[in-house]
Amino acid sequence: MTYGMLGLSFAFTIRVGLPRFDSAAWWGVGAYTTAILMTKADMSFWLTIPIAGLVAMAVGFIVYRIAIPRGMMVFLMFGMVIALAIQQLFGSVEFFGGWGGTDVIAPPAIGGLVFDGKRELYYLGLGFLGFNLLCYWALMHSRIGRSWNAIGQSVKLASSVGINVVRYRMANVLISNFFLALAGSFYMAFSLVAVPATFGLHKSLNVIMYVVIGGIGYSLAGPLIGALILAFVPEYLRVASEYESIITAVVIILVVIFLPGGVLGLVNRKAVPRLVKVDWSRLPGLRKLLGRGKT
Amino acid sequence: MNLLTLEKVGKTYGKLEAVSDLDFGVAQGAIHSLIGPNGAGKTTVFNLITGMLRPTSGQIVFKGEDISRMEPHKIAQKGIARSFQQTFLFMEYSVLDNVLTGFHMRHRAGVLKEFLHTRGAREADKKATEQALEIVDFMGLGALKDELAGNLPHGHQRALGVSIALACDPVLLLMDEPVTGMNPTEANEMVERIRKIRDRGITILLVEHSMRVVMDISDMITVISYGKKIAEGLPAEIKQNRQVIEAYMGEDTDAA
Repeated sequence: MTYGMLGLSFAFTIRVGLPRFDSAAWWGVGAYTTAILMTKADMSFWLTIPIAGLVAMAVGFIVYRIAIPRGMMVFLMFGMVIALAIQQLFGSVEFFGGWGGTDVIAPPAIGGLVFDGKRELYYLGLGFLGFNLLCYWALMHSRIGRSWNAIGQSVKLASSVGINVVRYRMANVLISNFFLALAGSFYMAFSLVAVPATFGLHKSLNVIMYVVIGGIGYSLAGPLIGALILAFVPEYLRVASEYESIITAVVIILVVIFLPGGVLGLVNRKAVPRLVKVDWSRLPGLRKLLGRGKT
Repeated sequence: MNLLTLEKVGKTYGKLEAVSDLDFGVAQGAIHSLIGPNGAGKTTVFNLITGMLRPTSGQIVFKGEDISRMEPHKIAQKGIARSFQQTFLFMEYSVLDNVLTGFHMRHRAGVLKEFLHTRGAREADKKATEQALEIVDFMGLGALKDELAGNLPHGHQRALGVSIALACDPVLLLMDEPVTGMNPTEANEMVERIRKIRDRGITILLVEHSMRVVMDISDMITVISYGKKIAEGLPAEIKQNRQVIEAYMGEDTDAA
């Protein structure tokens, strides 16, 4: 479910034509904020959630003020650098506990209910995910969502009808940051430990896989389906866990070649809902990266 | 009184002068055409006016205000809309949604209200939809309102581009080759619509290759070549101008 949330946030920024390679880093920011506040400031888990979100937004705002006005490619590169920098920060600064991982915290509780069993955590996660979905849905189906989609389709035309592209993109990325951090807080509730390696670049790439496998045209259902598949398939295939990433890679390549619309694209080949479809030609960098080649 | 005035506007790329010392004014309520051979800098001028490019020298004054260093979305908000030469559309939106996007600047209910989908936001949406339908009908796209923009034939895409610009409720409408690539019937319809748009009180600045159309509808014509103004006047005067004829020599125009 955490992965579902990460996937959602990636698909969210794709709407404004900004693929992000730093999702896992902001996820880590959320996790660390919760961990540190709980251990060092003795704060309640619930209180750390909004703070984590706001921290990710505030830091994101400072960082992206430079990148967003310069367009998609700069944003993409910048994202990677930021992702590495944040990971480095967690690992190298004493305060965050170093590379070996950090703080073990007590599971969250409310009243007498302690979220320590699988069942409790499942419902907690469902709550987080539901909240995330609800907010994204409401945003995508408002006028704001229409403007975001417009930017994703043509930056030039969008600005010619008076849409402030930079501001709209910034808002989108920051909201995405907020929910990434929320996913991080939730992650702490069940992992109880934050290790810098978890929040690395390869995790961010995994996040993109969820979206691609699920169907990049579907901003809400796509990432969820993709995360579900990628969370379970390798588990079942765990004949030899060292081959896991290779199997994943093969699956990705097959999906990209044979199911460019993702799993959902297969189910719903004809009736693609028009509000949630991405034009690949607007994403040349990503397309190259994913090896789609020329259309 | 000029609605838009360009004063000594220049745009250079290194040593290359795309536009140099360009002066001209567009009168309120006019259909003003900007013509010139290929590569004369017409589209560059449009990009300068709409803020997609910044002039390296000179001033662009709109309604008495210097807009030469404003961001494109700010300029759009001041009341300048444009339709593009290449068909820029939101290809994955329906015709109606395309026009609705053009309503971006109008009917705002406020971010929070929109997020919560309050009644106010829904009503603003409804009103926008009604007005969008009106524009779509006016541009002759009524029957196609649910069609995806990407599936439209060329002529209709052009008309849709203009519809989006109209949705911005402009004071000044810049049209970059609105009839190019259209068959004669479509072109005639478009010319009629351009007149009607002007009659609604919208001033029009037009770039167009079809001399027949330009001579037919323009109140005033400015001719540029290699980024410089070489002539200006009424259609009848421009037709007789030696310099203009020379500039076009060897050019493939459908002047007839």
